[in-house]
Amino acid sequence: MNWRHLNNVLHRDIGYLAVGLTIVYGVSGLAVNHKADWNPNYRMEKTVRRIAPIAATERAAIIKEARARLGLTAEPRNAFRPDPETLRLFYEHQTYSVDLPTGAVIVEVARPRPVLYEMNQLHLNTPKGIWTFVADLYAVALIVMGVTGMFVLKGRLGLGGRGKWLVTAGCVLPLLYWIWYLVRG
Amino acid sequence: MRRVIVSALVLALATSAGLAAAAKKYGKPLTVKETTKISDIYAQPDQFNGKRVKVQGPVVDVCSSRGCWIAIGSDKEFQTLRFKVDDGVIVFPMDAKGLNAVVEGVVSVTTLSVEEQLAAAKAGQDAMMAAQHAGGGDHKEMAEKMAKEKKTIDPASIKGPKTVIMIKGEGAEIQ
Repeated sequence: MNWRHLNNVLHRDIGYLAVGLTIVYGVSGLAVNHKADWNPNYRMEKTVRRIAPIAATERAAIIKEARARLGLTAEPRNAFRPDPETLRLFYEHQTYSVDLPTGAVIVEVARPRPVLYEMNQLHLNTPKGIWTFVADLYAVALIVMGVTGMFVLKGRLGLGGRGKWLVTAGCVLPLLYWIWYLVRG
Repeated sequence: MRRVIVSALVLALATSAGLAAAAKKYGKPLTVKETTKISDIYAQPDQFNGKRVKVQGPVVDVCSSRGCWIAIGSDKEFQTLRFKVDDGVIVFPMDAKGLNAVVEGVVSVTTLSVEEQLAAAKAGQDAMMAAQHAGGGDHKEMAEKMAKEKKTIDPASIKGPKTVIMIKGEGAEIQ
């Protein structure tokens, strides 16, 4: 087995192994790159409801009255008053913010985006622990794939041919961007 | 074979149910033994400034952008305390709202002058963010998001210097 054959076997098999994670990291990368425009983890919905104003002054009575008017039969996870005129009721994935004097209620629902939430957690290494090790291995695999990829072909299509121009272009791009970024200030 | 799969699924469900009941740990383990009341910190902020404390209370808000802070309800009504971690150190989930948190970190007390509040309002920051980044830094993206969500300081509400208290930490347990 010559070195190029070994190189190609490594490139191919590591590539097969890395497909799953590459999709996870790629899709999540696109999603979190644009987090200024949307929430990549949660689907957030805000609706406004109106109930009769709540006149009670005791905390327990306020909660009881608010729940009755909102038709919330289940016990909330918690209730909190950030200020004298507001009551917040917390349920799983839902928060009710009641303006006591007016009866205006903001219902905020935050549900994890299926699949994308999990992908983002892995991509951003939220679990830490053993996942750090897996992510490190994947990073090494990417480097190995990149390096071995340069030597898969020889000749006109290989590194000696057009490959060297493409590799140079790929290396120059981040360098040029960084210079532009520094100059721009 | 089917029996093995069913048993494995039942075991996995039982384990996950057990894990759900236990406190979920974020970041570094908690080390401070004694719990400080949030109301005590509010009563004497200068006494706690720079001190490492452990506090507990319901999670009443979570950073929807990066999950990098939670607001904890005090033992007294109408008081909340923000627990801030460096971006990426801990990512708090939005569905932590309403659960009980125990957090540990260093109390930070910042007094924002009227001029600083006006500058923060102009930059699209809220008081907490202005206090957090009083030393400067590039937080343009965050400021733009706050401006979009209208969470910035209302210049009309500025009456005088404002004291902002938060805890900067690395560890939390939420249940």
